[in-house]
Order: sequence, then C-alpha cells, then structure tokens
Amino acid sequence: MTTDAQTERNRWLLLTPALTILTLAAAGPLLIVVVYSFLTAGDYGGVVWTFSTDAWFSVIAERDFFDETLSFSDAHLSIFWRSVKLSLMTTVVAFLVGFPTAYFIATRPPHKRDFWMLLIMVPFWTNLLIRTFAVMEIIRNEGVVNTVLMKLGLIDSPIQMMFTEFAVTLGMFYVFLPLMVLPIYASMERMDFSLVEAAYDLYASRWKVLRRVILPLVKPGAVAGSILVFVPSLGAYVTPRIMGGGKQLMLGNLIELQFGQGRNWPLGAALSITLLAIVMVALIIYVRSAENGETHHG
Amino acid sequence: MIEIAGLSKIFGVGASAFTALENINVTIRENEFFTLLGPSGCGKTTLLRSIAGFVNPSSGSLTVNGEDMLSKPPYARPVNTVFQNYALFPHMTVAENIGFGLEMLGRPKSEIKSVVADMLDLVQMAPMADRMTSQISGGQQQRVALARALAPKPKVLLLDEPLSALDFKLRKEMQIELKRLQSETGITFVFVTHDQEEALTMSDRIAVMKSGRILQIGGPKDIYDHPAERFVADFIGDTNFVSADLVTEANGIAQVRLPSGKTVEARSPAGGAQSGSVTIAVRPEHAVLSEPGALIDGRLKNIVYFGTDTHYHIESDGQPTFVVRRQNQPDAVEHHQVGDTVGISFNSGTAQVLRD
Amino acid sequence: MARPRSFDVRQQTGFTFVAICCFVLLYLPIILLVVYSFNAGTSIAIWEGFSWQWYEAAWNNEKVQEATILSLIIASSASLVATSVAVMAALATTRTGKFKGSGLVFAMINQPLMIPEIVTAVALLLMFAMIKVSTGYTGIWYLIIAHSAFCIPFAYMPIRARLQGMDLNLEQAAADLYGQPWQVFRRVTLPQLWPGILSGAMLSFVVSLDDVVITEFVKSAGQDTLPTYMLGQLRRAITPEVNAISTALLAISIAMVVAFYLLSKSKEK
Repeated sequence: MTTDAQTERNRWLLLTPALTILTLAAAGPLLIVVVYSFLTAGDYGGVVWTFSTDAWFSVIAERDFFDETLSFSDAHLSIFWRSVKLSLMTTVVAFLVGFPTAYFIATRPPHKRDFWMLLIMVPFWTNLLIRTFAVMEIIRNEGVVNTVLMKLGLIDSPIQMMFTEFAVTLGMFYVFLPLMVLPIYASMERMDFSLVEAAYDLYASRWKVLRRVILPLVKPGAVAGSILVFVPSLGAYVTPRIMGGGKQLMLGNLIELQFGQGRNWPLGAALSITLLAIVMVALIIYVRSAENGETHHG
Repeated sequence: MIEIAGLSKIFGVGASAFTALENINVTIRENEFFTLLGPSGCGKTTLLRSIAGFVNPSSGSLTVNGEDMLSKPPYARPVNTVFQNYALFPHMTVAENIGFGLEMLGRPKSEIKSVVADMLDLVQMAPMADRMTSQISGGQQQRVALARALAPKPKVLLLDEPLSALDFKLRKEMQIELKRLQSETGITFVFVTHDQEEALTMSDRIAVMKSGRILQIGGPKDIYDHPAERFVADFIGDTNFVSADLVTEANGIAQVRLPSGKTVEARSPAGGAQSGSVTIAVRPEHAVLSEPGALIDGRLKNIVYFGTDTHYHIESDGQPTFVVRRQNQPDAVEHHQVGDTVGISFNSGTAQVLRD
Repeated sequence: MARPRSFDVRQQTGFTFVAICCFVLLYLPIILLVVYSFNAGTSIAIWEGFSWQWYEAAWNNEKVQEATILSLIIASSASLVATSVAVMAALATTRTGKFKGSGLVFAMINQPLMIPEIVTAVALLLMFAMIKVSTGYTGIWYLIIAHSAFCIPFAYMPIRARLQGMDLNLEQAAADLYGQPWQVFRRVTLPQLWPGILSGAMLSFVVSLDDVVITEFVKSAGQDTLPTYMLGQLRRAITPEVNAISTALLAISIAMVVAFYLLSKSKEK
C-alpha cells in the first residue's frame, strides 16, 4: 500500500514539470515586470538599474519638461478611457447579440444544440489574426461594403470605416462574441422552462417573462460572458492594431509602444501591471458573483 | 363553467403523428373539484395544459364562462396552474413568488401586500414569507405553489399531479388541505392524478382517461361501484372479472348467466351492453365465501392476511383467480383452509356488466 | 373566430432573427476571405474569375515556406511538451480531494487563461532579453518554451475532464489482479485516457499555431511564424496571397476543432 506521504510526494513529483514551465515562462516573468516598473529608463531603451518611481507617475501624469510640475497625462488618460469605453461597448453589443443567440440555441431540440454550439465555437478556435483580417476586408475602403455601395450608386466615394473606434469595436465584437455565447448558453441550457410556463400562467407578458424570470436565472452566465469578453477586450493588442491602424490606440498598443527602440521600458512595465490589476479586479468581481449565484440556487 | 367540446390534439405530422387527445367533450361545473384520472400517457396532462394555454389543440372548442380560451395566450386566461415540480422562482422569496401574478396584473402595491399576507395565512406559511424558495421543505414549497396560483383569484385552478413528489404522510395531509382550500375559496379545481385513491378521496367528479379519450365521467362512488368499462374497473380499485352470458336487459338492469348455470342480476352500463357473452365485474369486498353450490364454486388457493382484512384467492375452471375480501374481526376464527372447495356469492345488483 | 398563431413558451420576439444574423455575421467574413483567395485578380472585393495563383504564389514564397516550417515545428513541440506535462498534472490533481496547495496549483495552471496576453508577452520579452544578452542564444527554444506554457491549460482541460469521467474501479480491479502501479497506468489508465490526450494535443497545437502576440514579442530578429509574417504583411498592399495563407490555416484549425468535437462526443457514449 502507498502511504499518504508517498501519495503526496508522487503528486508533487507529477506536478513538477508543468509547474516548472509555468513558473519559468508565465508566472515568474511577471515578477521581472514588477521589478522593471521601479527602474529608471535607459536613454536608448532598456533600463538603468537604479530605483525610481517615475514610471508609475508617468502612467497617469507627465512632468513638464521645463518647470518640472506634474499634470495629468492627457494622452495616457485618453487611451485608458478609450480602452475602457471600447471594451464596454464591445461587451454590451456582444451581450445584445449573444444573449438572443444563446437563447435560440438553448431552445433548439437537444440533439441539435451541439451542432449550433459547434458553429459558434469553430470561429473561436480559428486564428484571431485571420478573423480580424476578414472583418477588415469587409469594411476597408476597397472592401466589400464600400464596393457594393458604390456599385449600387448609393455613395460616390468610400465611407472611411477603418481606423475608427467603430472599426476597433466591430473587430473585437467579432472575435470575442463566442466567449459571450458559451457561458450564457451553459446556464440557459440548465434553466427549467417550467418556470417560464409558470410566469406566463401568472399573467406575465413575453417581455416581463424575459426580464423577471429568464434574465435573473441566467445572470451567472451573463456575468461570466461579460467578463470573458471585457477582459480580453481590455488587453487586446492585435485587433486594435489592425482595425485602429495606429490611430485608435488601446492599452495593449500603448504598452507595446514602450518597448520599441529608445522607448520607456519601465513605463511599459508599469502600464502592464496596471492592466493586470484592472483585469484581476474584474475577475474577482466575477468569482464573487459566481459564488453568489451558487448559494442563490442552494 | 368550463365547456370543452370536440377537443383533439395531434402531435407531429405524417407517420410520426400521435393523437394525444381525441374528441374530448366535458363540462366542468362552477365550484367543482374535478379530477382527470388515468395512467401516464393517457392525455390528462395534455388536456390540463390545453386549458392553461400551453398546448394548442388541433381542433375543438374550449370556453370558460362562455368566453373562448383558445384564442388567448396563457397570460390572458383566468386560470392558474400548480405545476408538478412547483416551478417556484428560485431567485425570489416566498412572498415575492406569491405576489408575482398580482404584480404582473399591475395591481397596486398595497393590494398585493394584503393579498400575499392573506395567502400566507391561508396556507400557514406566514413565518416563511422572506425565505428563498430553496430554503424550505418540499411540503412547504407545495403550499407556496398553491398560494401563488390562488393569489390572483383565478376562476379555475389547474393542478398537475401536485402531490406526487411528497411522501405518503405529507400527501395525506395535503389531500385534506387541498379539499379545505377548495371549499374555502370556492374556486373550481381541475386536478390531474394517476393515483386512483387520491382521485376517489378528493373529487366531486372524476373523468377516467385512456389513450387520449375520456372513458367515463362520474362521482367517485358512481365510478367505483359502476365502472362502465373493463379498463375503468381495473384501474380503479381491485376487481374480479367473470365472463357470463347476457340473458335479458331492461331499464339498466341485466340478468346474466354465470358459467355455473346460475343467473344473477347485474347493472348494465349506460347505453346498454352488447348481447351474448359479456364480462361482469365484482368488487372483492362485495363477495362473500359460502358453502359450495353458490354462484361460483372453486378451490381456495391462498389466504393472505393484511391486518385490516383477509384476502381469499379462489381458482375455478376457465376463470381468472377470484379474490374475496373479508374484513377482520377481533378473535375471529379462520374456518377455511387452503385446498378447500368453497362457494362465492354476491348480492344481486352489486355486479356490473362492462362495456368492452 | 380566427385562431391565433399557436403560443410557444420558448419563443421570444426577434430572438431567432438576431440569432440568424449572428450566424451570418460570424461566417460571412470568413467565407468571403476564403472565396477571394481563389480570385484571379488582385482585388479582395471584385471577383475576376477562379485561379490557384495566390496559393502558388504563397507556396513559392520563400518567406512563407520558412514561416510555415517554423510554425509547424513550434506548434508540434509546444503541443508535445504541454500535453506530456498536462497528463502528469492531470493525474496528480484529478480524482483526489482538496489537497494542500491545490488552490495555488489550479491558479498556476489556469494563469495563462486569466492574464492578458500582452502582459505575459511583455514579461517574456523582458526576461528573454536578459537571457539573450548574457548567453547570446537567439534560437527557437524561447518560442517553444513560451508556447508550451500558454498551451498547458488547453491541454490540461480535456485530459482532466476525461480522467474525471473514468471509472476508478477499473484501476482498482487491475491492482487487485496483481498489476504494479506502472503496469496499471500503461494497461488500464492510459488506453482510456487516450481520447483526452489527443484532444488536449490538438487544442494546444491549434492554440500555438494561432498565437500572434506572445510570438511577436518573443521572436528574435529574422524569425517569423505564419501569423507574425502575416501581421508584417498587413503594412503593405494586401493581395489575396494573405487570403490564401489564411485559408490554409483556417482549414487546419477547423479540421482540428471538428475532430476535437467528434472526439469529445465519442467519449460521452
């Protein structure tokens, strides 16, 4: 017989390879980012190993070049604001489309639901770059939408849709939509439709049934879906880079900019930690609401 | 009150079509405890859901107080349902559940509050008002489901096997409770069950259903004592079936000849029976053991003691085992032994001729 | 009296319409992308006839060849490493109660799913930059290690799910029949675990093949995987050559995902 101590030793032995790789190439390097955020920026990129909190000030403030006074950094704040705004918009639109879609799938006959969910999941597992690229081809000046509208004579010159906040939001909506549908569908599939019948029986209209019964019952799924869309939107890099074309920077692009030649690595590190902190707060909210949802249903 | 005429429901189309209801005609009266009784798959729940509005009949008409129901969605019908699994909203408290219907009807808050309080008293759940529905027991959930359905004061209350999830003792309590609520509120109850005993104890009238059709409608005593069809006799209570020949039939009274050659008087079903060979039903408690040479003779195969009564199983040629039930008396002496040849007799008029 | 349309409790006004729009929206761009990869002209909006020319162009493009080979090497290595360590991790963490440090272990394994990719990319950039300076090594191992790390949760999930559904009695029966632990694992556990392992390997392969952000930050000068090559191409005039490469990548991903789906369906039986 194996003893408890042996079982315990075997467990950690089996876990060692995975934990080593994750420590080396995922969790560990985060500590380096924290350290870098407290260093001084080198003149030509890189860092000078002296302690400094300048990078953290620079996250939201800028020091006047001449009189050394601090003021809010409009450039950074507007990028923060845009990141939050576009991520929220993406989340809202994804919910407005994803919720009815999840509902549609959940009300199909059971043996057909897997097929519909596969249709949702296939694009998700295909390359994010390619999907963003596909959306770009639709709304480019030379793209399908403009070409068709011009052929029809509705417009004379192409409508500039690329490199706008609309383009970035559309791109993120498109690539992250499956993340909204999946958890909402999961909680909707478990929903007891006799509750919907009971509400109709008690004089609730279709709208009231939706608002008072269906929405509250799938709230855990809706919260999960919203977080799952909001978090990657906030840290998005590829989609805003392609759809925003350097004009509609988001946090991810601002961070990347700090690591080019002659840029400010400590600031990039500090911005990364800031992004991470926002994401962690969102995740904690999610975990809390998930726990509430569970106790709610006993 | 509820007039149902020519109601049919066919699910699916073509080869997979399934007739769930076939030409249902029934009138349910004001302030009546009406039960739909039958085995699972007989269409009783489909009929109930047609009244509620969750099933759209293929043809026929359905009115409540002369008002057409089939053109109305469930939320516009003056009927409420107590669901089999209760379907209490898990995200609302007991009081919020009970007030939901009134809230949907747009009643003022003060009215909702007072009605909810009345309902909580009616089902004796006042101390639990602010509990979540997941925090109360099955029997309590049952009461809340009842209160929720009664709160909007519907013209008709539909109950879909509401007691099936309760244990035996609680079920007995709730049967009495339901009967009390029905007489206190004066609301028409339409009750669906597959439990014949439940149907007999609670109902004013019972409709026995099978394969989408209503076989017989009548009061509990009527249905029990005078089942019109073999299925009804078999489904409700225990019955002995004896084949016999119809001699004469007039004014609901038939003379039948038993295999022993003896003739006995029996009731004939409404509409009369066919001539020739018929089946008659005799309840075990209506028969008594006697000396050989009675209406039916046979060999005593088994004596089964049940506490309140004793069952005697008697075998005779060409007939299924006949059961005679005798109520036990204290200190009674058992005169019969397995293997004895005994006679079975029953009073004229207790046997029922069945329509096959 | 006119009978209204039958009442369906599951119906919600407009939902089906939105859902259909959603599916069209989801697939229309991808379908157009695929269609125009066969366009005879250079436009990605005007159809000029069918042609394989962009596939030929991509096939004969040396840069694309190199990127394809690098992508495949990295994806295969990362999926092999990630799946192997994930099997061990799944065996250690499944079918056991809460153990000391279990919360931390799960957080570690799932961490690549929670932390924004750009943050991990920055962290790896900083660390590998230090190593590159001190060792001078600029090969592909940086990419393989980085990809292995973020593939671990994707490999771990289906293996763990499979293990959880497995009957512990079978292994106990094997042990009862004098099987040594290693024999029990090889003869009983592993054969049953196989679909989960295959699923995990395929998911990791697809995830590695698709990665842009971390690769873009970690790669040394001159290295390019297919996605980073395409990202670089976007700065220039876009020709259907990119569509052709995309279509090929899409085909691989879709084939893998559908296979994964069928595999996960088969285990439910």
